[in-house]
Amino acid sequence: MTAIIEAHGLSKRYGAHLALDHADFTIQPGRIVGLIGPNGAGKTTAMRAILGLTPYEGSLSVLGREPFRERAALMRDVCFIADVAVLPSWLRVDRAIDFVGGVHPRFRRERALELLARTQITRKQTLRELSKGMKTQVHLALAMAIDAKLLVLDEPTLGLDLLARRGFYDALLNDYMDASRTILITTHQVEEIENLLTDVMFIERGRIALDCPVEELGTRFAVVAVNEDQTETARAAKPFYERRMLGKTLFYYETPDLQKLGAFGELHTPSIADLFVAKLSRQAA
Amino acid sequence: MTTPPHAALNNTLWLIRRELWENRSIWLMPLILGGLLLLAALFGRVDIEVPAHAGSGVGVSLLFGFSITFFLVMSIYSTWYLLDCLYTDRKDRSVLFWKSLPVSDTETVLSKLATALLVIPVVYFVVADLTSLLIAFIISVRASSLLGGSLWRMDLWLQLQALWLYLIVTLAIWYLPVAGWLMLVSAWARRAVMLWSILPPLALYLAERWFLGTDVLGTQIAGRLFGYIAVAFHARADGLAHLDGPAVAASAWDLMNPAAFLSNAATWAGAAVGFALIYGVIQVRYRRTDAG
Repeated sequence: MTAIIEAHGLSKRYGAHLALDHADFTIQPGRIVGLIGPNGAGKTTAMRAILGLTPYEGSLSVLGREPFRERAALMRDVCFIADVAVLPSWLRVDRAIDFVGGVHPRFRRERALELLARTQITRKQTLRELSKGMKTQVHLALAMAIDAKLLVLDEPTLGLDLLARRGFYDALLNDYMDASRTILITTHQVEEIENLLTDVMFIERGRIALDCPVEELGTRFAVVAVNEDQTETARAAKPFYERRMLGKTLFYYETPDLQKLGAFGELHTPSIADLFVAKLSRQAA
Repeated sequence: MTTPPHAALNNTLWLIRRELWENRSIWLMPLILGGLLLLAALFGRVDIEVPAHAGSGVGVSLLFGFSITFFLVMSIYSTWYLLDCLYTDRKDRSVLFWKSLPVSDTETVLSKLATALLVIPVVYFVVADLTSLLIAFIISVRASSLLGGSLWRMDLWLQLQALWLYLIVTLAIWYLPVAGWLMLVSAWARRAVMLWSILPPLALYLAERWFLGTDVLGTQIAGRLFGYIAVAFHARADGLAHLDGPAVAASAWDLMNPAAFLSNAATWAGAAVGFALIYGVIQVRYRRTDAG
């Protein structure tokens, strides 16, 4: 299968600051990829490069196109939702549908209306009259009515309450995702998307610090809760991170020898959130 | 970009519609102005003493006066529109929504330019025309037959239409570089578009005077801003205010000077600068998506 996104040596410089530093990654079709990183790690810059909003160095191909040069053409197959604030406040819901339907060859108007009918939103309302959650519903209805190959979400639930966040991701998974689509999500709220991802990418200081399918996390990483008397032996097995919790020490290992580690204590696969903290704290130290 | 031409036209028409949704002042302002003029015609004093020999002159100056009022309001609004049109959506970040659609930056910039130089003038033209008709009707009912009668001359109305069309076309060509500059600031500035539109030319003008002792830029800018009437109209028209003198009961046909306008080198030099600036606007719009 051809990759949806391929980046080699992707770099972006703002003055003296390298926002992206020779990042390499590949995203395959049908995946839900979380691009996770602390603030300022280069998430947004990577997104902007992928969406053709900013020039870059290195090579980047999205659906076989060069994003910056061919943004308008690329947007026929790519859909993009940034955080809730980006729909213009003066726009009326029915006109938003008219406009997208007017310029987008892959937009299905009935689908958008059907999705909106499930909400409290009426068509003659302008965006400024809607709550943040409702704005997101409008944007999601517009996006899900577009038959796009790649959906890019940049902190899509920022500023939403728990109900709206849950609703957003439920709609995405139940009504949108299928094998023909690929979703790329950036967020710094890892817990929220942990269960829906098929792949995780950690980005730190402009570089990809980890790129791993979720199903491989169990063979690539392990965390062991070790009692006081075993800590020295556990430390000798070269964990990349450790932290103390409730009288035990948690040791994190990469490419673990599960049999050997099992002898130290209780063995788990770390959650994405824990792994994120472990990976990035180590590098900060 | 491989957009087929009909798709580009389709997109541009939707983008212009979008401008009318966003900027309701485009049609609200002339309607309000027209309404105010109608109120004035309904309740103002119209029983002016009109000397018999000046009758038709008063009619001309009245109708042309309305048009000039509309034009003044329009030029102020258009200036504001051009400065705002590529800035607001960067400031409120909705540019991220617009850029998520398969619409090119060239289409976006050209649709906004077309809105400023064609759509807005045509809207003002239609509203001014309808208002003038209604006012002529009101005045001829309320005022003396002499003044009223002077408003109902077929050739006068034809002149008015011709004058508007002439203005729309020639203004669009003449002020293209000004529009291009305002849009460039609008696409580029991260804040204070008004200041950025004025300060760089002013600084260059002062620098030229101090360091070179010449005044080329100042002359060029002043000529562009204020030289339009002298280029597009016959000399006697350079005070349209003098129209109420009996001598200028003449017609718009004598005022318009398309031959001089079209053969003036400044017209086409300006248009060339305008095209270059618009090209620059597209390049800046292409790269810049943030503000503030």
